[in-house]
Amino acid sequence: MLSALLVLLGFFAGLLGAMTGIGGGIILSPILALHFGIPIRQAIGTSLVAVITTSAASSSVHLQRHTTDIRLGMTLELATAFGAAVTAYLVGYFNRNLLEGLFAGFLLYSSVTILLRGGKVKSEDQEELPAQNNGETVIPPYEPKRYPLGLGASLVAGGLSGLLGIGGGPIKVPVMYIFMGIPLMVATATSNFMIGVTAAASAIVYYRRGDILVEIAAPLAVGVFLGSLLGARLAPRIQTKYVVYLLVAIMLYLAGHLFVHLLAGGAA
Amino acid sequence: MSQVREPAFDRIVALVLRVGAFGCFFIMLTGLLVGLFLPGRIPLAIERAGVLLMLATPVVRVLVTGVLFLREKDWKYGAISFGVLTILLLSAVFGIGEH
Repeated sequence: MLSALLVLLGFFAGLLGAMTGIGGGIILSPILALHFGIPIRQAIGTSLVAVITTSAASSSVHLQRHTTDIRLGMTLELATAFGAAVTAYLVGYFNRNLLEGLFAGFLLYSSVTILLRGGKVKSEDQEELPAQNNGETVIPPYEPKRYPLGLGASLVAGGLSGLLGIGGGPIKVPVMYIFMGIPLMVATATSNFMIGVTAAASAIVYYRRGDILVEIAAPLAVGVFLGSLLGARLAPRIQTKYVVYLLVAIMLYLAGHLFVHLLAGGAA
Repeated sequence: MSQVREPAFDRIVALVLRVGAFGCFFIMLTGLLVGLFLPGRIPLAIERAGVLLMLATPVVRVLVTGVLFLREKDWKYGAISFGVLTILLLSAVFGIGEH
């Protein structure tokens, strides 16, 4: 029952992703590559479908709370979609070892960054509690600043998304928050909103190249959808710090496994 | 400009995303369940429809947002939306056949 296993894997990744805000997409592709014997490029294309599903479901919730800046998101999407489409196209010319090496490096870098921050992925969230007015979220007035910098960072985030099949939130959110002067709540919602279009720009390229395996993508997306629904409900009630450490442990294991795979002549 | 939020605007965009996400979920689930009883090409075709709808959802979202901006006579953001749409359509053109 390969499909049942994939639904479970998706559920687990979606659950961890929604509870930590890290995005389960980062562990899906290496697990598909290492444990299901799927070539890394097709693993990336396939998990992009799950990334779009999560973004669509979660950003529809943010939109209803009116915390998404659609104008800002659309402007930055010019850069993320372009970057994602270009790298997705270039990946067609990458060999498997290069892609696995890049992925392992990115997993290692992300793990170390999270550990250096003491596992507090969402630390700023707690500092900036949104004001409530009759149950409506009140957002302080702001004006986006430094658009060139924001567009540059979005180009990089989009490029990484097309290359590795991830959302790129960890790049966009801090840039919007720190450099563009966007309230954190709006930056998070807007980044989430952009992920769907960014992932679609690269997923379309992967699909046309035959790098999305439909029989894998469907059970995976079903699992991720259910897992992220549950995770979003559980997130406020549990200590997410330990879940973050669990996710980091999985990321470090996958990075190590990818390196070993490479050294052992990953072409096998 | 960025602070101005039209509630109905957000709701329509949210609806597009929700229909896409839930629609894909149920189509893919149907494909999986049909696959339990009827192996072969039919469940795969259903699953493919789900994947294609998922790829189309963000494209439709950009199109709808662009039309909404134009209806508000917000030409600048209408143009930006159609710029994003162009990039998405170009990615479909350039994705063919490389290995």
